[in-house]
Amino acid sequence: MLESHPPVGRVVATELKPSTPHQFYFWTARESPIGIGAIVRVEEQGRVVFGVVTDGFAYSDLVTPMHAVIGADGDPVAAGIEPTTRAEIRLFSAAVLRQMPEEPLQPVPLGPVWLASDADVVLALRMDSYTTGDRPTGIPIGLYAAGGLESPVYLDCDFLLGPEAAHLNITGVSGLATKTSAVEFLLSSIFQTFPRHKGSVAALCFNVKGPDLCFLDQPAALNEEDRRLYAKLGLRPEPFSNVRYYAPFKGDGVNLNTLRTHDALAANTEPLVWGLHEVLDYAEVVLNRDDVDAKADAFIDFLGERVVGREYRDEMLRGKPFLVQSFADLEEFFRAIFEFMEVLGKGAEVWKTHHLATIRKVRNRLSNISTRSKGLVTDDGVAHDLPWGRFADRSVHVVDVAGLDPLAQDLVFARIVSKLREHLERRDLGVDHVVVFVDELNKYAPADGADTYVRKMLLDLSERGRYLGLVLFSAQQFRSQVQRRVVGNAGTGIYGRMDMDELATPGYATISPATKIKLATLPKGELMVRHPHFTQPIFVKFPRPAVLNSREGIERFPPATDLPFAEAVARQMRGLDRRVATDAVCALLEGRREDDVRRALSATRRERPADAYAFFAACLGRRVNGEVVVPRRGIPAVRRADDSYGR
Amino acid sequence: MPATNLAHLRRVLAVRGLTPASVIPDASGGRTEEACVRPARLVEGDSLAWRPVGAAEPWPDPLAFLDGIQRSELIAYAGAAPIVVGEIAAAVRERAGRRLTTVLTERRVIAIARPSALAAAGDALDGLESVALPEDEPPHPVRDLFNAARALDRARGSLELLVGDRFRRQSEGWLVVDGSLTESPGWAADPRMLGISKSHATLPFEGAELERYLRLPYGHRSSVYAPETRSLAPVRAWALRLWPWEGKDLFHGLVRIEVAPVNGSTEMADLLARRLLAERAPLSTPDPRWDRLLYGIHSVEQYLRAQVRGTA
Repeated sequence: MLESHPPVGRVVATELKPSTPHQFYFWTARESPIGIGAIVRVEEQGRVVFGVVTDGFAYSDLVTPMHAVIGADGDPVAAGIEPTTRAEIRLFSAAVLRQMPEEPLQPVPLGPVWLASDADVVLALRMDSYTTGDRPTGIPIGLYAAGGLESPVYLDCDFLLGPEAAHLNITGVSGLATKTSAVEFLLSSIFQTFPRHKGSVAALCFNVKGPDLCFLDQPAALNEEDRRLYAKLGLRPEPFSNVRYYAPFKGDGVNLNTLRTHDALAANTEPLVWGLHEVLDYAEVVLNRDDVDAKADAFIDFLGERVVGREYRDEMLRGKPFLVQSFADLEEFFRAIFEFMEVLGKGAEVWKTHHLATIRKVRNRLSNISTRSKGLVTDDGVAHDLPWGRFADRSVHVVDVAGLDPLAQDLVFARIVSKLREHLERRDLGVDHVVVFVDELNKYAPADGADTYVRKMLLDLSERGRYLGLVLFSAQQFRSQVQRRVVGNAGTGIYGRMDMDELATPGYATISPATKIKLATLPKGELMVRHPHFTQPIFVKFPRPAVLNSREGIERFPPATDLPFAEAVARQMRGLDRRVATDAVCALLEGRREDDVRRALSATRRERPADAYAFFAACLGRRVNGEVVVPRRGIPAVRRADDSYGR
Repeated sequence: MPATNLAHLRRVLAVRGLTPASVIPDASGGRTEEACVRPARLVEGDSLAWRPVGAAEPWPDPLAFLDGIQRSELIAYAGAAPIVVGEIAAAVRERAGRRLTTVLTERRVIAIARPSALAAAGDALDGLESVALPEDEPPHPVRDLFNAARALDRARGSLELLVGDRFRRQSEGWLVVDGSLTESPGWAADPRMLGISKSHATLPFEGAELERYLRLPYGHRSSVYAPETRSLAPVRAWALRLWPWEGKDLFHGLVRIEVAPVNGSTEMADLLARRLLAERAPLSTPDPRWDRLLYGIHSVEQYLRAQVRGTA
């Protein structure tokens, strides 16, 4: 491994600063390309050691500051014009990345130090084991840059997407193009380089704030430098080609609750609507854990197993059987129970072993779901869901939950991740690996606070997901505020610019002070990467993602204003069929009940017929005249006040 | 000996007109066996005077510094005759843009002993230069060791001359030498060389003039004089006080400057003195001779010590 360039330094060891098998010191000339994070090579007598610079020191032969004062007669100006500058040392400490040969493991020899070349970087980071051969598994993550050199750095997809290790966690302060940009770039890199022999891969991203992930299918205007970086990494600077967006409706049931409502983006933006059937299995998610005691749980199980989605017959309640398929049907079912109990009169408190107070509580909580999650959960039972079983290779599915109530967000997380897990277990999702991206992890899996369903689910995903191909890419501003086991299970860690207060927490104790300073001042587009193959964290830079960022996206595709009901329906129809005229739809809806219109629209969306307008009109049926609505009787209160819940 | 309040005693002696002193600065006395007065001839004025030199003035680039070091070790006796191995080194470091870089360096390892002792060592000392000590008297370990030290001194002096001459062949810049210029006629006549001596074993005056010479105030120089020299290399010299001595010792900050006679004018002496005053900083601490040791010379010493130590 002879080097044409001269060495940049020399290893030194003293009794107080000895060389060890894991650390060494070297000095350099005052002007040298060595900086914190630089990878260096030491070579002496057949042993080659690679290290990464973790700290730097400089000092002169001045014994005490007092001598500087005396020498300058106490005048700082005179001190600056001393005829001779003092002898000065630039000393660096480096952590060992790799020793060759690996055995016997010995202290670093006192040899010359070179700045690592491209080939050295491959060896130092052990990338030779997975970027060469017949079945390479390297995924470009960025460029290691030092001393004018730029070397691509690869992650091992076996350790990023499983099965050896998996998961990725990103930490960094907001607004400095760290978390979202890094994920966008890395997903693009995975999609372009994930080897075919490892199977297929898709991504499911939760957009939890603003328009962060709303323009993954739109190209960004990249500069020459970005294009050069892409070329150096062997990647194409292009947006994702297969992206589908899912967003719940707003309260009106026709305007989408997302910032991606520009007409030009409507083609691949779909509503996410769930009915009772989709929600009931995850009732535990949205019900306050303290509420769901054994009695309530038993009644929910009763509903799930005996009532919802099947014909339920009870002659005591009413003559014809119940077919509960929606929240509206469920409300009718509850109403029948309460009316029956009222008829029974005083003393009637138990229906089929379930106390009336328990039934009333479950009814309140379930109806609360459709209220708080209005737009996501529909009363009428017609759902529009993700394409379970039809996930395409290299497809991205973005679920926009940014505008949802936190309770509804939890419901979305829980159900989607559970469904992914179910399908991956049955191997019928359509792809072999799914990357789930969750931002603001400290909110969903906090270090402190109640052990929520979502936190348990994320923990389970991080601990067992890799066996299924279910991979968690998570991000947060403060890693210290996230459940340790969730981030601890992430095989790969990415750190952008960090807050010094965060860096002062115990989780960063192994990082040197100089590396912390570098992290605290990291420019945009630079990251520190931890990966199982790298024995020390490595700094890399990566190009701007090739997709439109949120600010530019919002400027170029400003969200459409919320439209009146009929026009909103027309816009939805145009998304299905560009030939549909707004005026025609508005005329068609004249005098129609909104629920009927929503149902017809949902059916049209589900069927996606060739002639959307005709199908929609057929679903609406003939116009019926208005009827006089007779006010319903209210639900009477329980007569006795010995409710065990004190209400 | 009864306990005495020395501080009080110093004050009492000062009242009686004596100069209080504490400790003679390191190496200011030189070799005690050489301590003597060799009366010099004044060439500036009729009597020894103090002359303020003015504000310090930076020395223009380039400026080079020459020094040498030596170390020795007793390694064997052949009978009663000691065999000493010594290492000598000399170097020139040149300053440009406030930074010193080594431009010349030379090292030697020599074996010093009586010829019979060297012969007894046989081929064990092959590869080393050898210096034979006189055999006109019977071996005496202490005397022979003293003679070996003198021989090593001379060898180091010769090496310094060699390096100095080599520097002069490649550069016309000023060269500041640690010590006297009188060792070489070439140096003594070189218009761009300056010798600076820290030791005052040989003093140029006696009586009242000596007292005046030793009580030179800070920032002043003495009148230029022509020292009495054993060699045939006449120079011009003057004393310069680099640091205030009051409260310390007569020798604190006192150096003797030697230049070629061509530089012995009043104006040139003042100019060179001002330039040397500027060289007081940075301090050459932690060397105990920091009050008289220029940082450039100190830097050469440090460099050579690192070189010699590195091969020990």
